[in-house]
Amino acid sequence: MLTDSEWQALALSAQVGLCATLLCLLPGIACGWLLARRQFFAKPALEALLYLPMVLPPTVPGYLLLVTFGSQGAIGQWLKHHFNIEFVFNWKGAVLASAIIAFPLMVQAAKLAVQMIDRRLEHAASSLGSSPFKVWRTVTLPLMLPGILIGAIMVFSRALGEFGATITFVGNVAGETRTLPLAIYSASHQIDGDAAALRLIAISLTFAFLALLLSNILSRRAEKWLGVQRA
Amino acid sequence: MLDIDIRFQRGDFSLQLCTCLNQPITGILGASGSGKSTLLALLSGLLKPQYGHIVLDKKILFSAEQKIFIPPHKRHIGLVFQDGQLLPHLSVRDNLLYGYRNLLPQQRQFSLEAVVDLLEIGQLLARKPGTLSGGEKQRVALGRAVLYSPSLLLLDEPLSALDERLKYQILPFFLRIKTEFKIPMVYVTHSPREVEFLTDSWLTVSEGRLLASEKPS
Amino acid sequence: MMHEIINLRDFGARFVLGYAGKSLTAFVLVLACSLAQAAELKLYAAASLTDALTELSTQYQKSHPQLAIKKSFAGSATLAKQIENGAAADIFISADKDWADYLQTRGLLRNDSRKKLLANDLVLIAPVDSDVKVSLDAEFDFAHSFNGRLCTGDTASVPVGKYAKQSLIHYGWWSAVESRLVGTEDVRTALAFVERAECSLGIVYKTDAQLSRKVKIVATFPANSHAAIEYPGALTKNAGAEAAAYWSFLQSDEARAVFARYGFSPIN
Repeated sequence: MLTDSEWQALALSAQVGLCATLLCLLPGIACGWLLARRQFFAKPALEALLYLPMVLPPTVPGYLLLVTFGSQGAIGQWLKHHFNIEFVFNWKGAVLASAIIAFPLMVQAAKLAVQMIDRRLEHAASSLGSSPFKVWRTVTLPLMLPGILIGAIMVFSRALGEFGATITFVGNVAGETRTLPLAIYSASHQIDGDAAALRLIAISLTFAFLALLLSNILSRRAEKWLGVQRA
Repeated sequence: MLDIDIRFQRGDFSLQLCTCLNQPITGILGASGSGKSTLLALLSGLLKPQYGHIVLDKKILFSAEQKIFIPPHKRHIGLVFQDGQLLPHLSVRDNLLYGYRNLLPQQRQFSLEAVVDLLEIGQLLARKPGTLSGGEKQRVALGRAVLYSPSLLLLDEPLSALDERLKYQILPFFLRIKTEFKIPMVYVTHSPREVEFLTDSWLTVSEGRLLASEKPS
Repeated sequence: MMHEIINLRDFGARFVLGYAGKSLTAFVLVLACSLAQAAELKLYAAASLTDALTELSTQYQKSHPQLAIKKSFAGSATLAKQIENGAAADIFISADKDWADYLQTRGLLRNDSRKKLLANDLVLIAPVDSDVKVSLDAEFDFAHSFNGRLCTGDTASVPVGKYAKQSLIHYGWWSAVESRLVGTEDVRTALAFVERAECSLGIVYKTDAQLSRKVKIVATFPANSHAAIEYPGALTKNAGAEAAAYWSFLQSDEARAVFARYGFSPIN
């Protein structure tokens, strides 16, 4: 049904999406918790900064990444020199680009998840002898899990769809950075590419639908697990 | 024996209290907004007074002068809130054992079986808090606090979410805790009838100040 | 709450009827005036023509101040797809024959107006401080002559990439460098990657290479190594008289001189 290069794009997308999700997970939880629970001077500025990738045209973060993480950029040269990590034209760069674009979704989900937690549950746990870290581990984190899960699925879906930052930062290299959206773009620009483009579009639709379906099912399960009654 | 002499100020609200509680059960009566919940938060360590001291059985929980502030998780004070605050992701059994597991074996004064029997919650152990009735939740919350072997039990309007009939089914359990386990209790409520049922000793709080410790009319 | 919403709606309705009504009238008046004043034509051209056509348009507008020339520069594939899907272009200039044919077979071009406008050369470029040396010879070990990536247009869809692939195959280098190839969406992006030294070599048109001071030409691929690089252009089905006049201007000696200055070879 699919050609080798189409399978390649599909597998690469899944790989990039998963890695981007993993990359977003811990910093996203930390930032979400920080925004929900802590008051500090620079908080509004930090919050605006964290959500910036969501409102910018993706080519802007893409270009900035190219300038800083490119082989001529300061960070890019440092990483190449010390760790031999290269991003440009490399699938790792696609991960970085889509992680940055999708990061606000993780922060938002984690922040909401923390805000939904009744703080008195944490007070109850600490009155029962749990240190702040243990309260976080045994109460806050488990109660955040449904939100984190949904955030992770949103990040994964967004990463699958990332186009602008990816093509600007890491180009459109078959088998390396050509994820589904880039493959669709390439196929739609070939004289006889319409059929291939439509096949890839169908896959994208299926992927996105399944991800949203899964997130819906999981959130219902999680609510049941937490004993929430639902009409 | 609980020795309290504190001043606490937040915004327009101020609380000033000086008293000594030495009865098995002390009732604290007050309307909502009188400062009785603030008092419990100060005793349990969720809030910190600006001045004074709190001493429980010769252990200093707070002293402004000596700059001592014991955080909530080291105070060993059991709390029971109005709506139980059971951890929704844990079973009743794991809720009951939550504080118990934070104790060293030699600190554990009561067994799960004894508490479960006393509170008649044996058939609930495998269930999740979301499936319990209001009265069941409060009994589990009480059991959880007791299993933590606290040196003091703070009860913050533990029955006000329940209807009248249910209240009088639960109240005897508090008396059982008193006689069987001998844990001193501070029982905060706006209902004089609940206090009368439990004890002869109470304080009345109004606008952050202590009124005469008389029997309510 | 309900009360407030209703009030807001009421306010909104008054606002729309009162102020927006007036401004709509004003807008229609302005629109009518501008339609009466200036004719407009839309020029869709391959990205490599950006600079030459911008200069020529400015020049043309000096003698035709009433004419607004809207220019859209992108990869030929993008432009052809847009026109196929209803973009209101008047003139289409492609960087290869295929995309002009694509539109012609779909009946979207005026066949009698189609002309081979320009020719171009294919060159191998490197960042200006690079010391890569390449000799165009089947014996030459191209793959080991440079580190890093080789950048050009997407070899399946972008004209410059198609020509580049033909030349690489011509010298027998294709299979050795295919995996190191970066395909971009148009020739200018490929140029930018080499300017930034993200790619150590690039294959672009001579005209693009000449525009940049950050790259140098390492070699020029001979015409027999790839299909002829021609820029066919034509009027589209909805082109009017102004577009036809401008299309003739682009074929005039005056325009040819400008194209030649940018490195193109005008075709008679």
